[in-house]
Amino acid sequence: MNSDLKEFNSAAAFLIDMTKCTGCRGCQVACKQWNQLKGEKTRFFNGEGYQNPPSMSEYTFTRIKFRDYQKNGQNEFAFYKEMCMHCNEPACASVCPVGAFKKTKEGPVVYDAKRCIGCRFCMVACPFGVPKYEWSKAFPLVRKCTGCYSRIREGLKPACATACPSAITYGPRAEMLKEAERRIAARPERYLKKIYGKEEAGGTSVIYLTALPFDELGFKQVTKRSLPSYTWQALRLVPGIFLTVGGSLSLLSWFTHRKERLKKEEEQRQASSHKAKEENQ
Amino acid sequence: MTAARLIINEIKGYHRFLKFLMVLVGLGALASLVRFIFGLGVTTNLNDTYPWGLWISFDVVTAVPLAAGAFTLGAITHCFHIKKLEPLVRPAIVTGFLGYSLVSVGLLLDLGQPQRCWHTMVFWNPHSPMFEVSMCIMAYTTVLFLEFLSPVCERFGYHLPLRVLRTLEMPLVVAAAAISTLHQSSLGTFFLIAVDKLHSLWYNPLLPLLFWISAIFSGLSIIILEATMTHKWLGQEDESELLETLARIIPWVIGVYILVKAYALFFLSQGPFFDRPGMVALFAVETIAGVFVPFFMFMRKKVRTDNRLRAIAAGLLIFGLVLNRFNVSMYGMIHDGQVYIPSLVETLVTVGIIAAEILFFVLIAKYFPIFEHHPETVDYSIPDHFRKIEKEHGEHGKVGSEA
Repeated sequence: MNSDLKEFNSAAAFLIDMTKCTGCRGCQVACKQWNQLKGEKTRFFNGEGYQNPPSMSEYTFTRIKFRDYQKNGQNEFAFYKEMCMHCNEPACASVCPVGAFKKTKEGPVVYDAKRCIGCRFCMVACPFGVPKYEWSKAFPLVRKCTGCYSRIREGLKPACATACPSAITYGPRAEMLKEAERRIAARPERYLKKIYGKEEAGGTSVIYLTALPFDELGFKQVTKRSLPSYTWQALRLVPGIFLTVGGSLSLLSWFTHRKERLKKEEEQRQASSHKAKEENQ
Repeated sequence: MTAARLIINEIKGYHRFLKFLMVLVGLGALASLVRFIFGLGVTTNLNDTYPWGLWISFDVVTAVPLAAGAFTLGAITHCFHIKKLEPLVRPAIVTGFLGYSLVSVGLLLDLGQPQRCWHTMVFWNPHSPMFEVSMCIMAYTTVLFLEFLSPVCERFGYHLPLRVLRTLEMPLVVAAAAISTLHQSSLGTFFLIAVDKLHSLWYNPLLPLLFWISAIFSGLSIIILEATMTHKWLGQEDESELLETLARIIPWVIGVYILVKAYALFFLSQGPFFDRPGMVALFAVETIAGVFVPFFMFMRKKVRTDNRLRAIAAGLLIFGLVLNRFNVSMYGMIHDGQVYIPSLVETLVTVGIIAAEILFFVLIAKYFPIFEHHPETVDYSIPDHFRKIEKEHGEHGKVGSEA
């Protein structure tokens, strides 16, 4: 567990400083280009704020959410980049019956489309609502941000981190956390004193800094405990329960059947001795 | 040609209700064909906010506990050796076998890649409750199939397989109970991962235990309901006396359920209970009409001995279970304002599956010895063509009867 955490902290992570985000959506475009994702037909002022498309989908792995608010009587903007959080202990990987999800040692959580049976348990399990489904297809698969695993293995940065002019820093998680703390300490008036992703869902490889309260930006309230431990506390009992139930029922039925067999044998013995007596007479 | 005509003639003689069921099953089959041609996205109202809908909530999460009668009754009858309940076992096994086969159909329909369903057997992930449930359901459907083979072999007079099945009977009963305990509870484990999604009226760490206990009483209730109905409409024997015994067991199980649920609610649940009036209403209906009312009904002798009242109490209990499973898997999941209503195709498939369950049950009961299996009236011994047993044991030709 601890060694895992060490590896996790030396693996690469995204530090996304939303106070530095200008809302240019270069990350959104770069992601579409690298992953060769289709453009979505959208309408302006569709739903709250200026964000487009209205949500992440099979064609959109990341997007900038927009929020309009007032501070000291002034209109202000806030932005939030939505993407896969690449958890240290991903819920999607733990619930997938065929193990199609994997946390790589480089950091990203990747998905093996060849294994997937399409049960969509990952979508139910993910606390951040990340995995999306190819609802347009007859035999659909799951789609989600890959953390640009194909680029990272070649020593490149992820597409969104490369395209971003200001807000995304990419590097070992421990360093990113240190950097985030440094920024908060250096300019306490600028930042909210909280690093989202440090402990959420047991720690993620995407961490956020912001000026607005996180829930106001649309961040989900997520438990600090790692998600897989919730189901594992029940699942780890499975072999024990199987043996206990099976064993006790076997014993029970052996006893009850033995009792009956003995009773029957006793009756037969009595009957035959009775018969023998009659014959003797 | 003549075979087809024979079948058609046979079907013509069926009751109108059975023909109606056949139409429903046909419609369901047609709807599932439509689903495979046009895909999940077009034919269902599922989306990224609601990845699981009616098929998971009803065809899987609800149908599995409703088919629990086989393992509970098997264990009660054979392990605790309450032999007089024997006549109820076979109908329960048939219901269970049909239920599980149709659960598998429902699951296959819901998978995005049904042709890869065998992947669960190759790529193991023991940390996944879904893996556990799918393995158990495969194993248990096999067990139920083997148990179901007995009446089939009797019908056709296959004596040798019958002898094998008789020796396997007890191991199968024990395996059935152990496997069922695992997957009934694991269906609850599914939702333990939905930590911040499932409403705290239902989310608690004891969810698997609650699922297992409620499966036991709903399985028994289904047996009561089914036996009452087959007596009334299929002209089968009146099993009131046996059903009374079951009705005496049920309140104990509900009692344990209520205690565990109360403990989980007051000591283990986190988060607010009363933040959403709709959830509170659903919870109130589920617990009052679906648990407490039948609990107090079953406590009264008048209800236990009265055919009608007993069936009503069992029906209420089943209603409570169905609502509970829908609450956990559908209504209780917290969403951002979007509503999910099953599409026509989804509804037709589910209706077809329910109709198929009833239809196949009636047909199997019609052609196979399901109800004639009474220990007092049916000779339990294996008809022995080789006369081996008789030669060796002389007059004790009925050795097989104990197996």
